[in-house]
Amino acid sequence: MRGVIAGIEALNRALARGVAWAALAMMLAQAFSVIARYVFSDGLIAVQEAVVYGHALLFLVGAAFVLQLNEHVRVDVFYAAYGRRTRRIVDLLALLVFTLPVVAVVLWVSVPYVVRAWATLEGSRQAGGIPAIFLLKTAILVFALSVGLQALATALRLIRCERVAHWDEDR
Amino acid sequence: MDATALTFVSLLFVAAFGSVLAGIPVAFALSGAALIVAFVASIFGAFDLSYLSAIPSRIYGTAMFNEVLTAVPLFILMGVILERSRVAEDLLVNMARLTRGLPAGLGISVTAVGALLAASTGIVGATVVAMGLLSLPTMLKRGYRPSLAAGSICAAGTLGQIIPPSIVLVFLGDQLSGAYMEAQREVGNWAPDPVSVGDLFAGALIPGLGLAILYMLYQLAVGLLRPADCPAITEEDGEAPALGTVLASLLPPAVLIVAVLGSILAGAATPTEAAGVGALGALLLAGRRLAAEQNGRIMGRIVEIGILGAALLPVLRSVADLRLAAEEVTAADRVALWVAFVACALLVAGIGAALVVLARSGNLAASMLATMRISTLAFTILIGATIFSLVFRSLGGDEIVLHVMQQIPGGETGALIAVLLLVFVLGFFLDFIEIVFIVMPIVAPVILQSDINPVWFGVLIAMNLQTSFLTPPFGFALFYLRGVAPPELKTGDIYRGVLPFIAIQIFGLATVFAFPELATWLPSVIYR
Repeated sequence: MRGVIAGIEALNRALARGVAWAALAMMLAQAFSVIARYVFSDGLIAVQEAVVYGHALLFLVGAAFVLQLNEHVRVDVFYAAYGRRTRRIVDLLALLVFTLPVVAVVLWVSVPYVVRAWATLEGSRQAGGIPAIFLLKTAILVFALSVGLQALATALRLIRCERVAHWDEDR
Repeated sequence: MDATALTFVSLLFVAAFGSVLAGIPVAFALSGAALIVAFVASIFGAFDLSYLSAIPSRIYGTAMFNEVLTAVPLFILMGVILERSRVAEDLLVNMARLTRGLPAGLGISVTAVGALLAASTGIVGATVVAMGLLSLPTMLKRGYRPSLAAGSICAAGTLGQIIPPSIVLVFLGDQLSGAYMEAQREVGNWAPDPVSVGDLFAGALIPGLGLAILYMLYQLAVGLLRPADCPAITEEDGEAPALGTVLASLLPPAVLIVAVLGSILAGAATPTEAAGVGALGALLLAGRRLAAEQNGRIMGRIVEIGILGAALLPVLRSVADLRLAAEEVTAADRVALWVAFVACALLVAGIGAALVVLARSGNLAASMLATMRISTLAFTILIGATIFSLVFRSLGGDEIVLHVMQQIPGGETGALIAVLLLVFVLGFFLDFIEIVFIVMPIVAPVILQSDINPVWFGVLIAMNLQTSFLTPPFGFALFYLRGVAPPELKTGDIYRGVLPFIAIQIFGLATVFAFPELATWLPSVIYR
């Protein structure tokens, strides 16, 4: 059991650390496009689209790690006043009644959507765009799967009364 | 009106807000409550589950392939880099030095920096926390009245929301443009003038700067009338630094921020383009700042030359024809083109050096992770809100809201005031981004069917929320400041301190309400 939790968390951490660099890629691609357009009156549609790809991947692939660190925005008017036991119960309910069913439904309805994109190897609508819309759409499945796995791992931790990790940007 | 629809829509609201208030993460509370209600309703035949198959295409269209919203992670990256490299801190310190001898100078600096850093800090907490940590101890040490110090910081922290280019205005503009199109089509106007994020930026500029100026005038008045409450920084606090040194570290970030905003307002660049350039500029400034700290003379020089290279590009563009696809190229243009290539190469070297410097200081990977985290927080909520509004509409909720709003006395104005009050109260519980994602898709398509100007509406919503965040006992800004303030600062001081600023806010809100031109004039001049 401990191995399963550790495995899921290591996977999601690695995914997030990797995808965080999409922010840098977005910045470089956008700066390239601006210089190409405003200085040389030219441009590459694929580079402009890369900004959109980076943007979408950033939050779809990063969401599971943010969940791992229990960082998703919540209203803490009452939550802040809960005792440790109540918090654990609310957190567990959040994962089992809200997060898991939501990602299960998203996964369920997204599979046919993504399969359709793969069937035609859907590419960009613009000439010269990135011919990989089908891969971009697949990121929705990655989002649902990785968040679902993380919700399971965190729920297991809560059931076993283990501590949940916290955010530290400098680690 | 259909009674079953009414039942399930009410159930949806109760379930969603109940779970949000209980402390379930907002993104999953909204989508989870919506799906649970959808399943229950489907058992009673009031909901067709096949509507849910639209979820992936909605996620794709609203959150993923939305070029306007790609500005958001880039603005976040810009803010994170400015903050982590302490360029923002320098800005505050130097601004305070510049106001040496001026009554209430420190408070005025806090307001000015809050206004300037708008781009980086759409999320209220970030600015209030940063300024609370930076300037509250200094202000208290210099003998500021605690309530005035606390009020100034809270107010300056929320100012960043309404002054463009704040990321919440990007989200609000994106939502308004869709809602406006939909609303106008509903009433038979098939070709309304589209509303863009740029329009909203332009519309928010005069009200936002107006508020900043009113804040500063208030602080100045206190400084003149009751100097003991906010003593000026004097010669006793150490030697006055040379004006040149102060300006040298103050100007570059100020120029960067003004250039980013200016290029959007001038209609020259899209918000996304400006955000990309802003992030790159922040990276170069951070490289220059941190190289000096690391004694990296050479690295610092490379970054500076890169900045010069970047600055040279628009100059070359204005004097020569640099189009790569040009057919006739004069000798002068050819020379200019080669100079431009060299400038680009220098810029690339500067970017490389800045990245190395940032990595050495341990800030590079951390900045990327922080950007990923903040974007994820916002966009997960957007995904949750998308699922919520899909279910809400499929249940017939939009017709119910339309019906309810028609019952409100006072016609258009009555409905508008009701929406503003609702948003004000919601502002006690939800942050700006959540309100924009949840409330706007519900009320905006109804409100905007009338003659209400969408930019004016957006500016009113933004100012109204900003007021809500300042209002005790629930205001968000107050909680954030409480979290970082020393225990000697009483919560009562914070509450007392924000009261004058709330009065200024209400005055500002009433003025914009009475004179819509304050919000609509600038966009009409710039974009028509």
